[in-house]
Amino acid sequence: MDAIFIAALAGLTSIGAYYVGARALGLSRAGLGAAVGKMLESVGMVLIFVVVNMTTSVLIVLAVRGWTGTFVSAYANDDAVWLGLSLIQGLAFQAWRGSAAER
Amino acid sequence: MDTTGRRGDRVYRLIGLVGVVVFLVTAFSPLAHRVNQWLADSPQLVPSDAIVVLGGAVSPSGMLSLESLRRTNRGIELYRRGLAPVLVLLGGATEGGPTEADVRAEQARLHGIPADAILTETRAHTTREEAVRVKALLRSRGARTVLLVTNAGHFARARPLFERAGFEVRAVPSDPQLEADAPESRLALMRVLVKELLGWVYYRVAGYI
Repeated sequence: MDAIFIAALAGLTSIGAYYVGARALGLSRAGLGAAVGKMLESVGMVLIFVVVNMTTSVLIVLAVRGWTGTFVSAYANDDAVWLGLSLIQGLAFQAWRGSAAER
Repeated sequence: MDTTGRRGDRVYRLIGLVGVVVFLVTAFSPLAHRVNQWLADSPQLVPSDAIVVLGGAVSPSGMLSLESLRRTNRGIELYRRGLAPVLVLLGGATEGGPTEADVRAEQARLHGIPADAILTETRAHTTREEAVRVKALLRSRGARTVLLVTNAGHFARARPLFERAGFEVRAVPSDPQLEADAPESRLALMRVLVKELLGWVYYRVAGYI
């Protein structure tokens, strides 16, 4: 039930945003496809940062375990903050790439 | 100069598309629950030599995590059904707090389980270490069959480790009837399953299972 409500609400606000963009702000309807493409690129960049962060973290944990013989927990990787940090890193990096392309 | 490169953009776009699709399918379909059910062994509720409750997590203040509590309750339930004479509770401490095993043992005593039927093991850090230490703990008792309690996704790793340690394993998932129906619960369950998958891959590559 929660899922249906959330999906319906997100659909509704998306339609609302479309009308605001197209009617009130006069944005080009054809530009929406390109915008979705840009959004997917940013999401892709964020996911790459997630994988890089997780892999690096696991490798460091395994290296410390192997070299020192002491136990270091890998559960630091199991923290939702990684997603937020990767989001910041990915969006910043993507914006940097975009600004370089405009020059 | 265009430093972004169209090919690179296409790759990022594809990764992003896969990510968005996986996110939406996980959040708005019962996929995670179906995978968890598929991984879950049917509970084998048969008399055994010992009940072994694998470690979850405990906070520095001594509060058990939800999964740890779930496993503990399942272990207590099995003991009270008379399925084994011994309840083995595992789990170490976090940042100098009480050990998970001791907190669980207190819970078990409050539920009327006699102290001499409870064994605790607090030094194991990983599932592999748990199997080794439980073997040492139960050796003197001659225990061969164990009711192993953990979450469904964990059995792919835990079962072969305990079988390698010489036990006949009867799986008792701590979460067989849980159906995550809210998007956040589904995403959390998928996160657990992905973590278990990565753990399984690591144990396979390392030759532990």
